Amino acid sequence: MSTVVPDTTTAGPAAVPAPARAPRPRRARVATGHDQRYRRGVGRWLVLAAAVLVALLMLSPFVIMLLNAFKSPAEYSQAGPLSIPKEVYLDGVQNFWTRTNFPQKLWNSVFISALVAVFGTLLSLLNAYAIGVGRIKGRLWIVTIFLVANMLPQEALIYPLFDMAQQVGLSNSQWSIIIIFTVIQSAFGTYLLASVLGTFPPALLEAAQLDGAGRWRILWQVVYPIVKPTLGVLMIFFFIWTWNEFFIPLVMLTTNDTQTIPIALASLQGDRMMDAPTTNAGALVSLIPALIFFLIFQRTLTRGVTAGAVK
Amino acid sequence: MPTRTDPATDQVPEATRAPEAADRRRRRPAWVPYLPYLLPGAVAFVVVIGYPFAMNVYYSLFKWRGGMAPMRWNGLGNYSDLMGDSAFWTSFQNSVAMILAMVVVPTLLGLVLAAVLFDYLGRRFGPRVAAFLRATYYLPQILPVAVAGVLWNWILNAQTGALNVTLRGLGLDNPPNWLGDPDIALPSVMLVLIWVQVGYPVVIFMSALQRVDPELYEAAELDGAGWWRRFQAITIPQIRPETFVVTLTCTVAALKVFGPIYVLTRGGPESSTLVPSYYSYLNFFDKSKVGYGAAIATVLTLVIIVVAVVILALQSRAERREQEGR
Amino acid sequence: MLRSRKISIVAAVAALPLALAACGGSDGGGGSDDQTLTIWHYENEDSAMGQAWAKAIEIFEEENPDVEVVVEKQTFEQIQKNAKIVLTGNDVPDVMEYNKGNATAGQLAAQGLLTPLTDAAAERGWDEKLSGSLQTTATYDEQGLMGSGDWYGVPNYGEFVQVYYNKDMFAQYGLEVPTTLEELETVMQAFADQGVTPLAEAGAEYPMGQLWYELVLANSDREFIDQYQLFDGDPDFHGPEMTQATETLNSWIQSGYVASDSAALTAEDMGVSFINGTYPMMVSGSWWFGRIVEEMDADWGQFNFPGNTLQVGSSGNLWVVPANADSPDLAEEFIDITLRPEVQNILAETGGLPVAGDASVITDERTQQLTENFQAILDEDGLAFYPDWPVPGYYDVVVSELQSLINQSKTPTEVLDGLETAYVDGKADLLDS
Repeated sequence: MSTVVPDTTTAGPAAVPAPARAPRPRRARVATGHDQRYRRGVGRWLVLAAAVLVALLMLSPFVIMLLNAFKSPAEYSQAGPLSIPKEVYLDGVQNFWTRTNFPQKLWNSVFISALVAVFGTLLSLLNAYAIGVGRIKGRLWIVTIFLVANMLPQEALIYPLFDMAQQVGLSNSQWSIIIIFTVIQSAFGTYLLASVLGTFPPALLEAAQLDGAGRWRILWQVVYPIVKPTLGVLMIFFFIWTWNEFFIPLVMLTTNDTQTIPIALASLQGDRMMDAPTTNAGALVSLIPALIFFLIFQRTLTRGVTAGAVK
Repeated sequence: MPTRTDPATDQVPEATRAPEAADRRRRRPAWVPYLPYLLPGAVAFVVVIGYPFAMNVYYSLFKWRGGMAPMRWNGLGNYSDLMGDSAFWTSFQNSVAMILAMVVVPTLLGLVLAAVLFDYLGRRFGPRVAAFLRATYYLPQILPVAVAGVLWNWILNAQTGALNVTLRGLGLDNPPNWLGDPDIALPSVMLVLIWVQVGYPVVIFMSALQRVDPELYEAAELDGAGWWRRFQAITIPQIRPETFVVTLTCTVAALKVFGPIYVLTRGGPESSTLVPSYYSYLNFFDKSKVGYGAAIATVLTLVIIVVAVVILALQSRAERREQEGR
Repeated sequence: MLRSRKISIVAAVAALPLALAACGGSDGGGGSDDQTLTIWHYENEDSAMGQAWAKAIEIFEEENPDVEVVVEKQTFEQIQKNAKIVLTGNDVPDVMEYNKGNATAGQLAAQGLLTPLTDAAAERGWDEKLSGSLQTTATYDEQGLMGSGDWYGVPNYGEFVQVYYNKDMFAQYGLEVPTTLEELETVMQAFADQGVTPLAEAGAEYPMGQLWYELVLANSDREFIDQYQLFDGDPDFHGPEMTQATETLNSWIQSGYVASDSAALTAEDMGVSFINGTYPMMVSGSWWFGRIVEEMDADWGQFNFPGNTLQVGSSGNLWVVPANADSPDLAEEFIDITLRPEVQNILAETGGLPVAGDASVITDERTQQLTENFQAILDEDGLAFYPDWPVPGYYDVVVSELQSLINQSKTPTEVLDGLETAYVDGKADLLDS
């Protein structure tokens, strides 16, 4: 029995052999001679300028954050948040780093967010496969019910979740957070993937079934490669959303060795006082891992695979 | 074994291996074998969400201070109180503003930006430029809300904020009190929300645009269609699933919004930026009225469910229409 | 194959944390009885409390060499909001810092989440070390109202509201420190005449409420405060005490003593603007002391709110012992150590306002002034707590109503109506359950 392989071309080096039928190979998303003719004209520079302007507007608060991350508290109070620091003050970052035992928090956050990203995406794929491709009866209601996970305000969930975690011995454990957020995030993932899989071309599935592939094989060999960009999106979103989650970890993680970065950031804010420069330094340091993750996974978004290949 | 397409579901039933099994399967609808894939998700959902939600509805029937305080039966009393609570209705009114700021504007703006980035700039300047700009648009989503609140306060602060300092420098003597004037606070918060939210549709739409078969575009070009025509006739229908997803999730997020309100205005000034989720939080924690807070959360969830079902129904209908057209 | 690779990666990743959880994962606070003392608090190490408590831990470790002391530094948010949830579990600390008052410690006490400390207090003499109004916040009755009932918490320090002033700016306009309310108004008018807004304020957080309350206290006696705070009767929101205060505040706003755009300013904004010399005076708490010492360039001083016998202030945060704590005896011993002179004097020296310290050990002049100001209030039994204490959730109401006053969108009578409604409703809820 021949292996069913979808007709794809990726921007990466791995070339995939074409199957028995003969759809045309995809063109990769890089500039070719055909595109060259787009590379002239003043209009494009104007549009680029506009896009860059928007980017600058989006970044302006971050500039302020940078200014204050390296400013001494005394200077902050005297000269205000908008002033350029006279000297680069690194104690803020250092204080934050040692006071909150940042490496430990960093590890916790990465650990939790990465696992939620992977498990959540996996779970979403399984659910969406059943709903989008399998066309389970009543799927509209099933998706709605799953989405309830996303719709519930978190304070409504916290009492029962805390009790349950206590009872199964997962109190103050990162696994409780991982499980909870896998479910919450996968609600969104199920919905997105089910929507995309709902328009999955049946001809590809037919072809695979003709070759005698079972549902499991079809999932991993036909569906999975095509929806990889969407899965990439989910991984990014889940990681970043979980990274910034504050409330549920705040309640469930009670000791310093299990806590995550947002809790560490919050520790800078007291009852009545707030240490603004250190908060900024801390925020800057906390932002970097999430940003790195985003930049890495961005690349999965640009590996062009299309679902329309079969035509 | 010959296979046939089942006209009712447009699916190919699984190839059979034995006659009795075939009999069994012919009586069973084609989707049933997919059920096991739903099992892990369903179990996890019931445990993590279903049970707590049921508990939440249960709590809303009581008067309760939380922790180990006694729970006192109140029936639907919390709900009837809620109907008469003006703060509650104000908060839902403000939700409309939230929807404008977190759904309408970001979706439209996000679509335009994504299209410009992907179709236009990506082709003329290369995908790296597009990817870089996308990263900058998405950056606000990565920032923790608490920090965003501090930063925006530094910009919108009536006395020392960057915006007003600039305006005063330009000669405007009495610049608006962005976060302190009850009439302006809500629009100011909306502006911040747009800033936070727009990166999300951009990322989703850009991945959606990558799904579109370029041959469709080429065929249209050969037929003489311009960029806008192609956008309307090909792009928008092709990315319909993602459009629905963005609309629905942004709407849910708008109805549920809490963080930015908490850090920017705490629902003030004078309750002009109060939203349902924040009001629920106030009752849960500040006022220790857990039963009442649970009632607010339940009503909020029901509203969200209704809105979601409407959007999902529209989406399902559009999907069906497209399939019939095939 | 793609699929098997993915599955093996997932499996490997899944196995890793289980291994980690087994060896490194904590099982929370308790530990076994009398072997570990777990402390939760949320004060900065550099702060007065942080330093004093470090000393207390040192002493404890010396006296109990076979006990391990574990300090979990928490966040204020966490303990504030979630104590009610977290303390129902088993992973609770042995001793914990918690906020004082009906809405906070009172709630925990009423729900049985805290161990009563009355016996310990009597045995160890805590009730003698703490003076009258400081003890009010240590005891709570079955409904969680402070002032009577069992001991549930023990404060180490106090806090109060005073007026910080910029000496350079006062000198610039030839002004003297006011000793009565009228003199204060004269000083403020003098600044206003010169185009300087005299008071740094913040409408979005606690400062405005505290200023208003100072004015209420100017016209009140202990009986009114007992009605308002301890529910010893029904305070009249339209009586002379509150009406005069609100109208005075209103006229101050209209005269420009308080900036008209301060409705959305936070306490942080207020403090920073005082420190950088934008405003000559700031009415706020002793918790600002350390930061002003560190960061203010101009010459500055402090005086109690002029003319008041009663002042805004209370005991500091309490040490509480959760009901599910593993080692309550160790906890009580630790608390006792924190009240010893060695520890209390560190609080004194660092400007932490000890409850049982010796002011004469203080060498720094400003710290001494701060401590003397506080002592003067204690001598007159003048601590009148905070305006948002009586009812849970009252803080947001006070903030919102006073924002209306700053924005001049409500009259003083309307503001008092709003405050009264929320107070009456909240009180009914509180006493109901």
